[in-house]
Order: sequence, then C-alpha cells, then structure tokens
Amino acid sequence: MGFWEPLFFWIFAFGAIITSCAVIVSRNPLYCALLLIADFFCFAGLYVLLSAHFLAVVQVLVYGGAIMVLFLFIIMLLNLRGKNLVANRFQVHYLIAIASGVVIFLFSAGVILAAVDMDEVADEREAHAAQLEEADDPDEVEPLATDSAIPNLWVDAEERAVEEAYRAKMLAWRDGTAAPSDGKYSRFNPEREYELPPSLDPEPFMEAELGEDADEDVGPAIVPGRKGLYGTFKPVSIKLVNRFVIPFELTAVLLLASIVGAVILAKRRVT
Amino acid sequence: MPFEPTLAHFLILSAAVFTIGLVGVMIRRNAIIVFMSIELMLNSVNLTFIAFARYRFETDGQIFAFFIMAVAAAEAAVALAIVLHVFRHKRGVSVDEMQQLKY
Repeated sequence: MGFWEPLFFWIFAFGAIITSCAVIVSRNPLYCALLLIADFFCFAGLYVLLSAHFLAVVQVLVYGGAIMVLFLFIIMLLNLRGKNLVANRFQVHYLIAIASGVVIFLFSAGVILAAVDMDEVADEREAHAAQLEEADDPDEVEPLATDSAIPNLWVDAEERAVEEAYRAKMLAWRDGTAAPSDGKYSRFNPEREYELPPSLDPEPFMEAELGEDADEDVGPAIVPGRKGLYGTFKPVSIKLVNRFVIPFELTAVLLLASIVGAVILAKRRVT
Repeated sequence: MPFEPTLAHFLILSAAVFTIGLVGVMIRRNAIIVFMSIELMLNSVNLTFIAFARYRFETDGQIFAFFIMAVAAAEAAVALAIVLHVFRHKRGVSVDEMQQLKY
C-alpha cells in the first residue's frame, strides 16, 4: 500500500476526464488532437498503475505516436477554415445528447456499484486494519479476503496472496495437473499427455517466471526483481505467440487490408 | 488512506470516459472529431479490459486490449482516408454532408 499510487491514480483519472471533455467541446480540431494526445498519456499512466507496462508502452507508441500523427497530418492537410469551423452554437439536440449521456453513465455506474457493495468493502478493510493493529506480528494476520469484495489493487498482503495463487497455478501447469487458466470452461484434460513442439515448450518460460528455485517451498512470493513480472513484455508476448497466435496473424492481414484500402480510397483516381 | 482506488474506481472512470466519447459522437458535426470520440470510447474499453485483467491477475485481458489497439489503428487509417475522399468531393468534413450512403 503506497502513498503515490492512489495520488497518481486521481491525477490521471481527473486528467483523463478533463482532457476528454475538452476534446469534445474544443472548436479547433487541432486543439482536439493535441488534447487527445494528453488524454492518451493519462491512459498510459493508468495502465502503468495497473501493471500493464507493455500496453502502456504500446499506448504511447501506437496511439500517441502513429494514430495521432495520422490525425494531425489529415487536419493540417485539409486546412479547415470558414464554414467547416463554425462555432458550436447551442442546439436542442445537444441537450438531448448530454441528458442521454448522463443517463447512460448513471446506469452503468449504478450497475458497477450494485455489483460492489462499497460499505461492505469499507467494513472489511476497517476490520482488517484493526486486526493488524492488535496483532503483534503482522504476518500472522490473514490477508484480506478477496471473494466478497473487489480488493484494493495495492494491498501488499493481497498481492502476495494473488501472486502465490498465480505461482501455484503455474507450477500445477508445469506438473500437468491443471490448465494455467484454471479454467471452468477450459478444454484442458489432465488425463491426456500433451506434447508441445519444442519451440512452444513452456519450460524456459517457467524458469524465467518462477526462478530456479521453483520446486522449493513457496516462501515469500514477492522477491525483488520478480515482483514486476506481471504485464511486462515477456509474459504478454509469450502468450501472444502461443495461445493467441492465430488472432495475432490475422491482425497482420487486417492491417495489410486496411493499408490497401486506405491507399485506394485516398488516391485521386484508381487506374 | 480513504481514497485508495479499487477495481470499481477504474470501471467508473472507464464508464465516464466512454460516456464522454458517446456524447462527443452525438453532438459534434466534424467527422474528424467524431472519429476522435470513437477513439476515446475504444480507449475506455481498453481500460476496462486491463483493470479486469489486473483484478484476475491474468494477461488475457491485456492481449484483448492489444488487439483492440491494432483494430483501432486500422480503423483510423481507413476512416481518415474516407474523410480525405469526402473532403475532395464536398469541400467539407461535416457529417451532415455525408448523406449519400443512406440511399
């Protein structure tokens, strides 16, 4: 539990909301594009807070770099002026749009808050904090249960529990007793002998993931240098080229098709 | 600390940004800004995926977000080419002028 993570969460959250509001009300498309870049940076910060480091980098490179350069290029190429830049005069359908937006937001927030009983979460946390204060050894107190409440993302005890569960899961996968997804809906059959081709052998990955002492007793799961592994390049990319390899290749086809389509659309005359 | 963010905070933030993008699509007439609003909505969905991935401590959600980013890049390229094409014909990018597709 840190001081900086919640602070940065609120900074990035308010930054994201303010910049996205500014994007939709700003009159000049150039300002809109620049504000949208700021918005994407706020989102990248939120991804880092959620330990999705790979996606934070991709967000800055692809969204903040490639897509926004495309937008800015088109805006400057079109050089809009005159009737294309009329001020947003107030119209009746603005009211309708904003009212329906508020209704949709309240509905979705209501659904989220109905799924999470915030009072229960607060009670549980208070009880846990009280337990921690009373106990002589903080390690003896059981970590906060995660089933009845959506857990705080940065409670160390919880993180340890989650990481231990993850580690146990990976070990079970290596032993061939369970699927890594722990899947209710998985087609993984523990009875069957799965033979992976050499290049897809998870063993090197497991060694990297769990360290050389993977077979020993679990011990404290948070070890310096190992804690931040979730969401970094290695686990994400290994999953990307193993389990999700077909969508990954189809993405290449999609990008090729979109390049061809964009060129044909933007050409003056197709000969 | 009373203001520690939980999964619910991320989801509500994502819902807020999605709604802002939706309102942007509804109130703006400039096609480029409408596409920007759509990018906002895609980003908020990405945030939801990543928050749930972190909550479940699995990377599958992040991979979905990665694919959404790839699709958004392809969509932006094609959409801006369409905007360019329309601008050549109409000398404007207002969505009010793009009515021919209706018929």
